[in-house]
Amino acid sequence: MLSPERLALTDYEYLAQRHVLTYMEDAVCQLLENKEDISQYGIARFFTEYFNSVCQGTHILFREFSFIQATPHNRASFLRAFWRCFRTVGKNGDLLTMKEYHCLLQLLCPDFPLELTQKAARIVLMDDAMDCLMSFSDFLFAFQIQFYYSEFLESVAAIYQDLLSGKNPNTVIVPTSSSGQHRQRPALGEASMLEGVEASLFYQCLENLCDRHKYSCPPPALVKEVLSNVQRLTFYGFLVALSKHHGINQALGALPDKGDLMHDPAMDEELERLVVRSRLHRTSRQHRAQEPGTFGFHRRDKLEAPERVPSASAPTPSPYRWEPRESCLVSATPLGPYLLHELHPRPQKGLKS
Amino acid sequence: MIPGKYRSVSGRATNNVNCGLHLVIQTSSLPEKNKVEFKLHKETPSFPGRLLQHDLERNYSSRQGDGRVISPSPRNKSSCISSTTNVTELCGLEMKTTTSSLSAFGDSSIQTPSKSRIRQGCHSAGPNVSGDHINLVSSSMPSFPILQRSSEEKILYSDRLTLERQKLTVCPIIDGEEHLRLLNFQHNFITRIQNISNLQRLIFLDLYDNQIEEISGLSTLRSLRVLLLGKNRIKKISNLENLKSLDVLDLHGNQISKIENVSHLCDLRVLNLARNLLSHVDNLNGLDSLTELNLRHNQITFVRDVDNLPCLQRLFLSFNNISTFESVCCLADSTSLSDITFDGNPIAQESWYKHTILQNMMQLRQLDMKRITEEERRMASVIAKKEEEKKRESQKQSLLKEKKRLTINNVARKWDLQQHRVTSIAANQDRKDSDSPSQDPCQVDGSTISAFPEETGSLDSALSNALQGLSVTDTHLVEVDGDTLSLYGSGALESLDRNWSVQTAGMVTTVSFTFIEFDEIVQVLPKLKIKFPNSLHLKFKETNLVMLQQFNALAQLRRIDQLTIDPQGNPVVSFTLWKYYVLFRLSHFSMQKINGTEVTQNDMIMAERLFGILAHVASSELPQYRLISILGDARKKQFRYLLETKGKKPGVVSEENNDSKRLVGENTNRATLNYTTRDFYNEKLEEIKEKKKFCKMYIEDLVKEATEINMKNEALQKLWPQMFIELVRDAVIEIRNKSSYMKLCLQQITDQK
Repeated sequence: MLSPERLALTDYEYLAQRHVLTYMEDAVCQLLENKEDISQYGIARFFTEYFNSVCQGTHILFREFSFIQATPHNRASFLRAFWRCFRTVGKNGDLLTMKEYHCLLQLLCPDFPLELTQKAARIVLMDDAMDCLMSFSDFLFAFQIQFYYSEFLESVAAIYQDLLSGKNPNTVIVPTSSSGQHRQRPALGEASMLEGVEASLFYQCLENLCDRHKYSCPPPALVKEVLSNVQRLTFYGFLVALSKHHGINQALGALPDKGDLMHDPAMDEELERLVVRSRLHRTSRQHRAQEPGTFGFHRRDKLEAPERVPSASAPTPSPYRWEPRESCLVSATPLGPYLLHELHPRPQKGLKS
Repeated sequence: MIPGKYRSVSGRATNNVNCGLHLVIQTSSLPEKNKVEFKLHKETPSFPGRLLQHDLERNYSSRQGDGRVISPSPRNKSSCISSTTNVTELCGLEMKTTTSSLSAFGDSSIQTPSKSRIRQGCHSAGPNVSGDHINLVSSSMPSFPILQRSSEEKILYSDRLTLERQKLTVCPIIDGEEHLRLLNFQHNFITRIQNISNLQRLIFLDLYDNQIEEISGLSTLRSLRVLLLGKNRIKKISNLENLKSLDVLDLHGNQISKIENVSHLCDLRVLNLARNLLSHVDNLNGLDSLTELNLRHNQITFVRDVDNLPCLQRLFLSFNNISTFESVCCLADSTSLSDITFDGNPIAQESWYKHTILQNMMQLRQLDMKRITEEERRMASVIAKKEEEKKRESQKQSLLKEKKRLTINNVARKWDLQQHRVTSIAANQDRKDSDSPSQDPCQVDGSTISAFPEETGSLDSALSNALQGLSVTDTHLVEVDGDTLSLYGSGALESLDRNWSVQTAGMVTTVSFTFIEFDEIVQVLPKLKIKFPNSLHLKFKETNLVMLQQFNALAQLRRIDQLTIDPQGNPVVSFTLWKYYVLFRLSHFSMQKINGTEVTQNDMIMAERLFGILAHVASSELPQYRLISILGDARKKQFRYLLETKGKKPGVVSEENNDSKRLVGENTNRATLNYTTRDFYNEKLEEIKEKKKFCKMYIEDLVKEATEINMKNEALQKLWPQMFIELVRDAVIEIRNKSSYMKLCLQQITDQK
């Protein structure tokens, strides 16, 4: 319990570093905001619920962006919530634009900044193809890196720039808040010869950075793994590699592995129940509106389904039911070929390899 | 147009077709006076009737006989008579004629009782007769026949000469007849007017039915009053300069295509240009005495200058090509016109023809040969009034329409400006945020700025003219058209505060928003719900719908059957998922149509599949206190209800209850997905910031206090063992000598007492 780290800091510093203060502040803030309602069912109950939801990661739902990005736990929770809520969109096989993904993000966090979504899209797409469609998984993993390590990536960008321009990268790095600076590509003639920077040198700088960095950064060992495979690489090459790295995803812990991305049996079951319920709801409404004679047959047909569902967790033979396995999806949807690419690397216009 | 009708009008049913006479000139058979007497039978009312009858029959049965000038109305008699009497007075002749004497010139069938005799004379005056006089002229004009009458005849008809149907190809030289006043060359083959320049006293010259191609040879005939050139081949009105006292000019049945060279004929009363090739009527200035103008059977499409004819009473425009009243509108300005015909024109087929004419030409007494009754006039004025009203109404309508158009333009412009501003601000911000070299700031700046003045300039110039009289400050438009309430511009939203009649409010089922920020619409949705409870169809165009979450706001309405989001100005429509999201979020409305497309069961299920988890997560995983705060007061009741049933399994509750509860549940699990407008949200964020600041300070204080206490506690904990040891040591030392300690204790006790 008493780690050496703990002893190195004062109590206050420790609490701050572990973001306990953040949650305490937020809890009190929430309490203040809803004091009438909360006083009805007890302040102790409120704190219990609050910290429970923090543990479960549901505390970030519909919260303001400043809170969502305040702690790594919040970020991971948000990523997980995004994945859980919109997994179905990806499962359906829809390819969406950056703007549409941004809209989905905004459904969970109304003031989510567009800039961040743009940056995430830039990892997936080339600069000149920003309006292209992206698959859910591509976007999600890129977004994960961009969102979770956002400050780290700022610093990395600065380092990369310095390396490109030949400066000594071990000078003090001041992360700038500017968004576009690191987008600069090396001058043309040089670039064709030697694009990007040397991996080993880059790694040294990053290792240095990870040591000093007060924000969360990917485990240095994994960064090393990423960088050891290549001689030279570009900034975006690095980001793509990061986003595709299983280890980093696992270390982050918010999302399942890429292969299991569409897999969430508990939620699927819940969804099945919802769909059936909505169908019943609609038919019953229609029934109320129409004469029973004209619609009797259809209604009967549809009323039968929900009766079976609560008892049976086994799949119902509904024509609308989704198959949870991707392999089935491939054959079942017209987007099959695309989904096959999900499993294998694919050359697609505007996409980075 | 049956003759019978006219018969009854004329009052005389004489069916005298054989009567080819229109002007009957009778000699008074008073040889001692040596004069042709034109007797004017003023007191013969039967004549006009009969003549009219005849004329009409010819006109309407055969559509011929156009040369006839018609003056059938007895009312016109007086004017006619006066003019004719003028002639008689001037001529010193007594004209024995009907009241409609003028009509005769059309037909030019003047007959005299002396015809046969003159014809004989003519015969004798033919080229093969009176050869003894040929010598006189043969030296100069050898080919012309020379005419000479017998002295007896000369005495009998000293002032007239009729050379009708003599097969003349040229005008004969008429010698020794200087006193001649009336000369008749009807029905010959004369091609050129010649050899009559010496007849300077000539008053009446009749060249009807010849082959004359040009008016000429008349310059010396200064006293000529009646010139009849009907049924010739004249192409141009010319060489009439000296005929200043011309009273009647008949040019019917020629090939004249233009009215010209007549402006000096200030005494001309009758002009007949029927059956020519006129395409229009103008150049009528100067004809100050003209009372009758016959223009039947031309190709006239429009009439001008008629209002410059101060004496014009009768105008015949039958069988022309007049199709609008506008093309003859100058007629309305003529004060003297009393008789007009338009039959056989396209205009006469129009339903509005009669009353329009009557209404515009109050001075008219007779139209298309029919006397205008008071009743007709009254009818016409009633119809005209109605028409006027209708016109005014339509004008008002079109004005309103125009105003609407302009207002919408104006609103659109404002909207564009606003959008431009927004985007340029965004661009600027973007630029500031990212000092990226790849994003060329100049280009961005330049494009937005250059787009500004150009657009406003063009719009301004286009609008400035039309906008006169209309207020330019109109920045919004509210329109109720049937069951549709259309709102343009954000100002229009204020109209929802107005007191709408129950009827209007009940009728409106479609509400369309154009050029209004969606965020502004959101704020009035509660009002809309109250004021227009029946609104089922919402339309949005140019409303800046950019996010899916904005649709959440619509959930608060009572009912929506149809939703139409125009892609114009609503980028959200370009999204793949927007329809499903709308269906999902507004599923409690059971919408029928989205953007005109029927919603199917499959759509609903798809929507549920895509977003059901979101709703589920939102409703089941939010901590209670958050749910309550998100749902707000209005939803609390429902929420409690939900809470009560949440624990129970669906199967436990009976069917009907289940249904209703599910309904509530469905509403609630979606209700967590709501939309706050940007402004409001920013306000809220500010508020939260404030609260956070306070909380931060509060927590800081608390934590500091706590850590301090903790530190003290720790220090105490650290000190405590040593302190305890010291205490024990002291105690042990104190009680080591038992007896002395006891003594001390006893001492203390006694001291206390």
